[in-house]
Amino acid sequence: MAAITQQVYVDYREAERRASLIKFVAALLFIAFFFWSIDVLNIPIERVFSMFGRLGHMITERLLPPDMAFVGETRVMDSIIETIQMSILGATIGTLITMPLAWLAAWNVTPSRRFLYPMARAIIVVTRGMPTLMWAMVLVAIFGFGPFAGMLALVKETIGFAGKLMAESVEAIDMKRVEALRATGANEFDVLFFAVIPQVWANWVGIIIYNWDAQLRNSTILGFVGAGGMGLYLREQISILEYHTAMAIIVVIIGLVVISETVSHHLRRRLY
Amino acid sequence: MTNAAITGNPLRDPKKIARKYISIAIFAVIVLYIGKIIILDGTDWERLGSVEEVIKTVLFFVPDFAFFPETVVPLLETLLIAFWGTALAVILCLPIAYMAARNVTPFPWITYPLGRCLIVLSRSTHEIIFALIYISALGLGPLPGILALASRSLGFMAKTTSEAIENASPGPIEAMEALGANRFLVFFYGVMPQIFPIFVGNVIFQLDINIRRASILGLVGGGGIGLMFAQVMQNLQYDRAGTIVVGITSMVIIGEFISNRIRARLV
Repeated sequence: MAAITQQVYVDYREAERRASLIKFVAALLFIAFFFWSIDVLNIPIERVFSMFGRLGHMITERLLPPDMAFVGETRVMDSIIETIQMSILGATIGTLITMPLAWLAAWNVTPSRRFLYPMARAIIVVTRGMPTLMWAMVLVAIFGFGPFAGMLALVKETIGFAGKLMAESVEAIDMKRVEALRATGANEFDVLFFAVIPQVWANWVGIIIYNWDAQLRNSTILGFVGAGGMGLYLREQISILEYHTAMAIIVVIIGLVVISETVSHHLRRRLY
Repeated sequence: MTNAAITGNPLRDPKKIARKYISIAIFAVIVLYIGKIIILDGTDWERLGSVEEVIKTVLFFVPDFAFFPETVVPLLETLLIAFWGTALAVILCLPIAYMAARNVTPFPWITYPLGRCLIVLSRSTHEIIFALIYISALGLGPLPGILALASRSLGFMAKTTSEAIENASPGPIEAMEALGANRFLVFFYGVMPQIFPIFVGNVIFQLDINIRRASILGLVGGGGIGLMFAQVMQNLQYDRAGTIVVGITSMVIIGEFISNRIRARLV
């Protein structure tokens, strides 16, 4: 008996030592990775320590206070309205494209698992993977400066963002209603309109509102690459080093985002 | 759609139905009006030319895969920026989550609103804006990019972590307080073990999102693949731009796939 206890104890100590050895090696590798990253990224260490002072100076002296009079200018006001318009139009058109796509990309009710399902999935995955700002730059190169390119970028973003959420909510529906309809000889469209949409509609409306909120957030920055909206003035003011006016634009962006978030939160809460 | 069935239903209030259709009509008119402004008036269709010309421009973007080897190093840099940005956010989010969780916050009247305020500020500011501020203070390079990513993911991580703390079982916390443990011991041994799985899931989720965010930071000078993209766009080397877009998209998709796999196993 005693020998067994002794053996268990020895095994336990052995396992403990091995675990601590593994931890030690992992920590060493992590530190090595840290220094290797600094080397690869060319991060100047001496700057890291002096950065807080410069950052504080930058924020207190050059960014604050924001010069809010700049926002009152007509061209800036127009660009803010254009930003909101872009987000509404992009989100609406995007949603109209996304709804059928989400139906095709839901494994449980898709009309064709062989062709349409992988196609719709691929569209959603690829549009999700592309960074919006790069896509916007490509669109600006094709369609020229202006809100049209930005709107198309938002459409792309909606397909990737809302498409995934909508398809997931379709995949979570109760299949009994679908089967009951199929048993009566309903075709795929009957199933969509009388079994799928009534079940997911409340959920989808929530996603649509949330998506608009996300698109407004995206649209504030699109102008940075010339795709319409107020981001253009942010870039302009930064490039001529007018930080006080740039800060005013940033304040407006944050204000817009907070307002849209509150609106979307309240709309969604009323829904459920 | 389903409305055909609903109008025929005598149990439905016709006033409600009328109001619904009127609001849909108003929304449609607004959208059409905005569409007219943006699509018809806001675009110079003559400059754009015919459909063939647009297609010709699109074809400039067909990727040139001979360029692909040159994008490998910037892509790796982007991954590293995303990783260290997330790592910094992991460290910085703990004190903010600690302040913004109602049940453990040390001074509810000061630290709770402060924590919430920081979370809202970080969540509603785009990473490009953070990058611009850091770049104007620190100069170009990956360092402001890392800081911008950290500031950006801080809010989301602190928010989810503080919610997890609020939902944590009070049993272990009270037991430790009864033993006389101080705040930090309670946090690290009473709260952290409970929220750890959620926390790790969020870290992986943020890492995956940060790869996407890191890829555009270079557009404003934050290092990584975005810098190269901005350069080739400026030089009108659209085929190379196409290659970079394909590279980033595949990297983000692979990252999302791995992160979904790991998180599915965690939960």
